[in-house]
Amino acid sequence: MRYLLRRVGHALFLLAGVSMLAFLFTSLAPGTYFDEMRLNPQIAPETVAALRAQYGVDKPLPVRYLSWLSSALHGEMGFSFAYNSSVAPLLLVRARNTLVLTITSTLLAWAIALPLGIWSAERLGRLPDRLLSWGTAILLVIPDLALALGLLVFAVRTGWFPTGGMASVDFETLSPLNRLRDLASHMILPVMALVFSSLPLLIRHVRAAVADVLNAPFLLAAVGHGIPRRTLLYRYALPAAANPLISLFGFSIGVLLSGSLLIEVVMSWPGLGPLLLESILARDLYVVIGGVLFSTLFLVGGNFLADLLLYWADPRIRTESGTR
Amino acid sequence: MKARRTIGKWLVTLAVLHGIVVCAGFFAPYDPGEQDRKSPYLPPMRLHLLDSRGNLHARPFVYSLKLRDGSYGQYEEDTAEPHPLKFFLRGSHYRLLGFLPGQTHFFAAENARIYLLGTDAYGRDQLSRLLFGGQVSLLAGLLGAGITLLIGLCIGAVAGYYRGWTDSLLMRLAELFLALPWLYLLFAIRAFLPLAVSPLKAFFLIIAVIGMVGWARPARLVRGVVLSAKERDFVRAARGFGATNAYLLRRHILPETSSVLLTQAAILIPQYVLAEMTLSFLGLGVPEPVPSWGNLLSSLQQYSVLVSYWWMYLPALAMAPFFLGYLGLAGSLQERGEAYKIETRSLGNLA
Amino acid sequence: MKNRRAISYSRWVLPSLLLSLFVFLGHIAVAFPPQKSTREELLVLPGEVGRPGGRLVVSLRGEPKTLNPLIAADARSREVIGVMQADLIHINRATQLTEPALAKSWKISPDGLAYTLVLRHGLKFSDGQPLDADDVLFTFRLYLDENVHAPQRDLLIVGGKPITVRKVDARTVVFQLAKTYGVGERLFDGLAILPRHLLEKPYKEGKLGQIGSLATAADQWAGLGPFRLKDYVAGQRLVLQRNPYYWKSDAKGNRLPYVDELVFLFVPNADAQVLKFQSGETDMISQLGAENFSVLSRQQRGYTMTDAGPGLEYNFLFFNLNDAGEKTSPEMQRKQKWFREVKFRQAVSAAVDREAIVRLVYQGRGAALWSLVAPGNRRWGNERLPRPPRSLDRARTLLKEAGFSWTTGPNGESTLLDSDGKPVELSILTSSSNADRAKMAALIQDDLKQLGMRVQVVPLESRSLLDRVTQSRDYDACIMGIASYDADPNSDISVWLSSGGLHLWNPSQAHPATPWEAEIDRLIEEQMSARTFEPRKKLYDRAQEILAENQPMIFLASPDILAGAKNSIGNFHPAVLEPYVLWNVEQLYLKNGTGNATR
Repeated sequence: MRYLLRRVGHALFLLAGVSMLAFLFTSLAPGTYFDEMRLNPQIAPETVAALRAQYGVDKPLPVRYLSWLSSALHGEMGFSFAYNSSVAPLLLVRARNTLVLTITSTLLAWAIALPLGIWSAERLGRLPDRLLSWGTAILLVIPDLALALGLLVFAVRTGWFPTGGMASVDFETLSPLNRLRDLASHMILPVMALVFSSLPLLIRHVRAAVADVLNAPFLLAAVGHGIPRRTLLYRYALPAAANPLISLFGFSIGVLLSGSLLIEVVMSWPGLGPLLLESILARDLYVVIGGVLFSTLFLVGGNFLADLLLYWADPRIRTESGTR
Repeated sequence: MKARRTIGKWLVTLAVLHGIVVCAGFFAPYDPGEQDRKSPYLPPMRLHLLDSRGNLHARPFVYSLKLRDGSYGQYEEDTAEPHPLKFFLRGSHYRLLGFLPGQTHFFAAENARIYLLGTDAYGRDQLSRLLFGGQVSLLAGLLGAGITLLIGLCIGAVAGYYRGWTDSLLMRLAELFLALPWLYLLFAIRAFLPLAVSPLKAFFLIIAVIGMVGWARPARLVRGVVLSAKERDFVRAARGFGATNAYLLRRHILPETSSVLLTQAAILIPQYVLAEMTLSFLGLGVPEPVPSWGNLLSSLQQYSVLVSYWWMYLPALAMAPFFLGYLGLAGSLQERGEAYKIETRSLGNLA
Repeated sequence: MKNRRAISYSRWVLPSLLLSLFVFLGHIAVAFPPQKSTREELLVLPGEVGRPGGRLVVSLRGEPKTLNPLIAADARSREVIGVMQADLIHINRATQLTEPALAKSWKISPDGLAYTLVLRHGLKFSDGQPLDADDVLFTFRLYLDENVHAPQRDLLIVGGKPITVRKVDARTVVFQLAKTYGVGERLFDGLAILPRHLLEKPYKEGKLGQIGSLATAADQWAGLGPFRLKDYVAGQRLVLQRNPYYWKSDAKGNRLPYVDELVFLFVPNADAQVLKFQSGETDMISQLGAENFSVLSRQQRGYTMTDAGPGLEYNFLFFNLNDAGEKTSPEMQRKQKWFREVKFRQAVSAAVDREAIVRLVYQGRGAALWSLVAPGNRRWGNERLPRPPRSLDRARTLLKEAGFSWTTGPNGESTLLDSDGKPVELSILTSSSNADRAKMAALIQDDLKQLGMRVQVVPLESRSLLDRVTQSRDYDACIMGIASYDADPNSDISVWLSSGGLHLWNPSQAHPATPWEAEIDRLIEEQMSARTFEPRKKLYDRAQEILAENQPMIFLASPDILAGAKNSIGNFHPAVLEPYVLWNVEQLYLKNGTGNATR
């Protein structure tokens, strides 16, 4: 119990610290959104200055942070100059789009990596394992940038897949089944890119964790007892390997929001990544802080979830914390 | 022994690859900034042995490319004159490692310009830019990793050695940095630092930024090593003999961290090169006209380039051999360090 | 016999009564023809007659921020607002001349200070509410109200005073100017007339800034444009539907617009626009760069690409000529000594390879520039302006005359030294989001290297760029581009006048810093009040000549306007003024009439 409470407090501390850091960074920015208006020959500088004062960009830093913090605790995360709307709804929509993509690809990647990793660990050092190692090595050394660009070229050349965006023009008019198909067709390429980029590391980690356990003395003893392979694997090896795997899974959850930035930008998927990039370039302070905070929330939440799962799954942790 | 040999094998491969990049001035036929405005977006030239009249040449040669009449951007070979490939020719000036002057280039074509990997929007030779770009990207990765490991070493050593509240404070800080989504953090830091700096300053700024982001994990690993090393018998014995903290750290404890540091280096360097590439690709990194692998690819963000000029894609694959080398090195270092495997297995966030 | 006559008369009485009744009614019918509504006067547009029905899909680079003309500052919002609102007098984008819009006619008083406008009969907003002079008065009250901070306010200040409006009757208004303004009627273009019945309450409550967002309910927003709001999906698209009360018709009397729906798809960037057009998801594309145009022109399957010819955009390089103050560093003062030397600027202009810029940046689809007036502006260009070809020798001669010299370094490269023997090094700022200008910067950097100057290109995000040029004034040189929104010289006032905010090399001056800037100020202000074309042209020509002699802006190149549309779109005539393809959106129609065919 105390362990859990400590973890919660820990998480809150992280969030507060991150928000302060993020806010600090964004305040280093010179130039504001209103400068775009100056490039319009029709508007005089006095109008711009008046609007600047109206939006409160001129107030001192701590005042701005505190006002933002108080509204954040009410669920309002500030105001976006560029989109002329509240930050929270903006973030929520984009985060939802990102999650659709990343949840699908994370599940897919794990569904592929687990069996492959286990299979490879069982045949450690032999030919199939070596082939898989080389395969993942090749995939690993191709930067995800090259992967994303390559898939985009493929889409353009063949015309089989839509080359960007999340939905077609007449999405609203389609039946629910067709809507699902439309969404799926738009998702194929980004999901492929995400899966390809995360798969090699996942496979390696799974393989390492399982291989580790397979070498443990207690497993050898179990083999000596004549326990069949299947049971060995599922009831003895995997639970022991669960520890690092759960941490890894927690990490996978943690990067659900932030890990796909590059791919979203390259493939024009309307997620959190492109919003963040745009806001950074546009010096839209509150969106940037909100976005960083959101994804940190996920990271911290993912780790917390992993801690919970570990607590439940690994008796060593329960006993260790009990002795504190 | 076997592990030793594979480590050596990987080190040699990496040394050769880096050597080519370091001597880019020699291996590249042209200066990376030289514009050839009559030849924008030239496709890679083909090496021929058989000329248009059916004669076999001893040396491979190239035909220069000319614009097709009445078109923009469509080239055809000028088969009138073959230009043979020659080695060790004198060309533009360069300085190896910044101070050794030279004028000899590994290869060039006689009386014509040779573009083995094509040209970019201003007619600059892509091969030369690739080699010189490698200097920038690899240096960014190496220096960045160096900074990260230095910071990680200092913080981890102090935390692990002195324990107490220093340790708690530093580890909390480490967790804070670990909790931040590193790519987002990198972007935010980079975008909010002054952008109006010379390419050299921009370069060092990027390295500093990259280096400052990732110290948390190495710090924790170092701390783990120091923690356990502190309790080792020989350290205790030395302390019993009256050794000062500084002596203990320098002579006994820090050398123990070398294996962790080396492994981390082999893992971090490619990650940091990739980070530099991502930043430069999105325009937040090394600015024009200085080439880097990232900004060589940034023109691919334009659809027209992606679709029309396939050779602009090649730098994306250029770092694959380097990554492979580092991957192999990291793998064999890890195998050697299996006995020292400390703390990579995470027992949640205890301790 | 008398009885029989009486009977024969009465036999004729009834028919003649009936006949006169018919005649009487007939007269009435002719005199008062039956109307569908309360006596509407539609503007009849000449041109091809199309068929009704269907849906048009166009892409928008980014999302508009608002539908409210009073707060819209960005280009996307203006694009959308443009098809939802209407103005009193409109500039026809094809002819570049004014024509009646909501006002069916206007008269200018002999002294040129009063404009009397008469509205059409029967005008209705898109929600069916009628329009009258009170709406016009209310609209201009909002535009001129200082607390509203409308971007349009500055346009309505002529001769130092805001214009005034008063009502004569339900359909006539008079605008009073403080000073004659040569292009008075062009002022009205783009000033949307707003609905009093929807905006009066928010205005009294001070909440004008919060209404008109994209998420507004469709029945809570109205305008006089060809389309009205139907639906909005955040991050994806904005759907507009045909305004059934639109006040224009075609030559056959059919009420415009033809299409039933106009959809704006939000795409993140220009390349996404190209992709959507190529795959058939959108029907038209505009604001194309030359490279994308080439890609699309390669295989024109079901669509046609059009090069509408030179536009009005002008790109230029300028140096920091701000007055030296206490805050100017000695470094900057030293550099400004070079920049202030007119021969230095002329030398840079002589060294710039404009032909390479047109070739490499615009793929030949553009024109080299030596003046602010781009080739797309047919009426106002100065033919006699010198257009010297590139010459490095001339540049070197000019530099030598100005006291510069060269030394040769160890690697054979030459370095330019100023009269104090210091090497000439400077940085050029450019916008990081504009690939074309970044390319120009790279080319100029190489050109100036040939003169021995070490130039560094610094891409800045456009807002920071503007900040540094107009606020902190901390830069050496900069490359910018401005697209005039109108062919008339007065649209570039803030660039010409030394007090202007876009007089970029030394903006917002209290007094002209140099005699030639003072002369330009005088010429421009005189042409502003002149009322006919010939004297204005002479004054404007002279202003251009002075600019060319002193080179505060080194003009580079101007791109053509490139656009494309599916072959099934009728009446597609891209113009060189904004909005390039939607300026005649009410006349666009689908030839096959069945709507947007998707893959």
